[in-house]
Amino acid sequence: MATLNSALSIASQSLQAQELELQVTNNNIANASTTGYARETVSLSEASPLTDGTVQVGGGVNVTSVTSVRNDLLTLRIQQQTSQQSSADAQVNALDQIQTLFPSSGTSLSSTLSTFFNNLSALSSDPSDSATRQTAIQGAQALVSQFNSISAGLSGPASNLNTTVTSDVSQINSLASQVAQLNVELQQQNAEGQNLGPIGDQLNQVELQLAQLTNITVTHSTQGDTITTGNGTPLVQGNASYALSTANDSSGNAQVLDQNGTNITSQISGGDLGGSIQVRDTQIPTLLNSLDTLANQFATAFNAAQAQGYDENGNAGAALFTVSNTVAGSAASIALTTTDPSALAASSDGSSGSNGNVANLTALQNTALSNGQSATAQSANLVYQIGSYTATATSDSTSIQQSLTALNNQQGSISGVSIDQESANLIQYQQAYAAAAKVVSTIQSLFDTTINMIQ
Amino acid sequence: MRFNPNLNASVLIDIQNSEQAVQTAFQQVSTGQRVNLPSDDPAASAAYVQLQAQAANVDQYSSNASSVLSQAQTADGVLTSVVSLLNQAITLGTEGANSTTSDSDRQSIATNIQGILSNVVGLANTTFQGISLFGGTVSGKAAFTADSTSPTGYTYNGNTGVNSISVGSSLSVQANIPGSTLFTNSSASVLGALSNLASALQAGNTSTIAIATTDVTSALQYVTAQHAVYGNTINQLTAQETYLSQETVTLTSRENSLVGIDAATAAENLTNAETSNSAVLAAAAKVIQNSLLNYLQS
Repeated sequence: MATLNSALSIASQSLQAQELELQVTNNNIANASTTGYARETVSLSEASPLTDGTVQVGGGVNVTSVTSVRNDLLTLRIQQQTSQQSSADAQVNALDQIQTLFPSSGTSLSSTLSTFFNNLSALSSDPSDSATRQTAIQGAQALVSQFNSISAGLSGPASNLNTTVTSDVSQINSLASQVAQLNVELQQQNAEGQNLGPIGDQLNQVELQLAQLTNITVTHSTQGDTITTGNGTPLVQGNASYALSTANDSSGNAQVLDQNGTNITSQISGGDLGGSIQVRDTQIPTLLNSLDTLANQFATAFNAAQAQGYDENGNAGAALFTVSNTVAGSAASIALTTTDPSALAASSDGSSGSNGNVANLTALQNTALSNGQSATAQSANLVYQIGSYTATATSDSTSIQQSLTALNNQQGSISGVSIDQESANLIQYQQAYAAAAKVVSTIQSLFDTTINMIQ
Repeated sequence: MRFNPNLNASVLIDIQNSEQAVQTAFQQVSTGQRVNLPSDDPAASAAYVQLQAQAANVDQYSSNASSVLSQAQTADGVLTSVVSLLNQAITLGTEGANSTTSDSDRQSIATNIQGILSNVVGLANTTFQGISLFGGTVSGKAAFTADSTSPTGYTYNGNTGVNSISVGSSLSVQANIPGSTLFTNSSASVLGALSNLASALQAGNTSTIAIATTDVTSALQYVTAQHAVYGNTINQLTAQETYLSQETVTLTSRENSLVGIDAATAAENLTNAETSNSAVLAAAAKVIQNSLLNYLQS
């Protein structure tokens, strides 16, 4: 039965609905620039109709829910890409530092090597000249220092990366416990039937931070988000978080252990942690091994060439370089046995004016050493290796950046707050509210009319 | 379809990328290099490193060549003098062998020959920057010193060592001829022939003098032949120096094409980068400011 009272009740429902819409719009505008905020919408529904005899009349409006607009699949893809991006960025940062050790021009390992060979070649025109000999032995000294300093330069970033690994792991642990805390709140709010939008926003933000640190897999459920890293090592399950830890291996490199103490270092493939581990465990060792190989083979071959000749005093040529028997650590430990210029075995017949052995010494520049490559080619190859590592990481970072931008745009198009849209909505709600208020005042005057009728 | 209402993030990335492009272009203009770090072009950097080593080698080969060249020119000059001294000795010997020459004249000719001998020994002891040119590979000693026990009156202090010097990646030249080969060779000894001629002149036997003169002639022929070796070396070195200077030019141009950038291209790149940077900034300023609120009347 359509009465003035029921009309008033519809009008007040309408006022409430518009108020709620205004509030949500207000909240959207307030959070327009909040990171990770997904816009909220109010869903309204028609109330069940009133029956007036045979006629059905609309029963007004009901507020169904307030929901956050977001696409979970997109969020997951953004997390994955963020992981890869951070990994590439971590590699670029570390490799950029290392790259300065292998310049393609100026003083470098290759230039020092080439200078040393040229000093030796100069010795051939005057093998007994003390100044020329002095220059050559200084060239050898410079070469040894280059080997030593590049080797030290490669160890520096490695120890920085260990610090990064340790601090990344402790950040992962603190973020994981935050997620567990948020899961508890989510369970409570879910039980109370509240809007899960805000807590979802917070979870997404923390998970994005986690993704920047390591590769993660997120599964949503009513019990909250389950997060694993590596090849399935759990970080968060419901309201429990599982802390990772670090321990140094025999070479002093920090290893990542799961909550059972199992080493999962090699499974970490993304994020700052994954990128740092990759540079530390793959790229630096490869470069160091190439450098050590070069130092070891060059020194061994040079000493052998020395032994074929005689020094300035007519004695059989003695080894000029001290080098370890094993390849590992050769670049760090290589040294000169003597700084006496007369020790260079230029002579092939024992006479001080002979240059017969210089050719054997200089031949080492371009003849293949025991790994099949000449010293010059090996030093050039080091430049190629570091250049290609850095270039690959940089182009990875650039291409992931592009796809991440696209994904973020897509997410923005779904979840982002548009001031234009909210402004338009605001006007619409304002007018609807004004109209509802007008209905109320009209009904009030109708009531007055009715009462006046009685008088 | 709804569009992303918050352009700030992507606008910022566009601005950053375009500024990065300006920086890269600026660096290329200021250094004249396309490749400044190995990561700019790993393969070109590695090749550049090898080219630099090659260029340094070419420089060293040129410096070796010029030092051998002066040495060879000095030795060549010495041999020219020896040849003229030997010619003089042959003339004197022929005069001494003539039956009309008086004994006293022969004695003075013998003194002349002795003088020529010591001149030749003096020449054989020539040093070049402290290196005894004809002492083999022995350094710090004169090649020949007087020795009364030796049949020629001189003993050789050097050895038979020969130094070769690299003046190209696969070319090395002989830098010296040992004195023992040049001056006291068993088949045609310059010093022996001269000393025999002096003795024969002193003894006064015309037929012995004639034979000794013939020996000096064959010694002259031998020295002339060796002289050609130096001449050859000099020609070879001169040609090699020309080749090496061309090689330097070739290597420099290869380095340029590998890692350098043409100035005009670099300038054009910079202009392009700057233009697109201004465009991005101008567009960003317009896009970010605008919203519906600007048009709503309160």
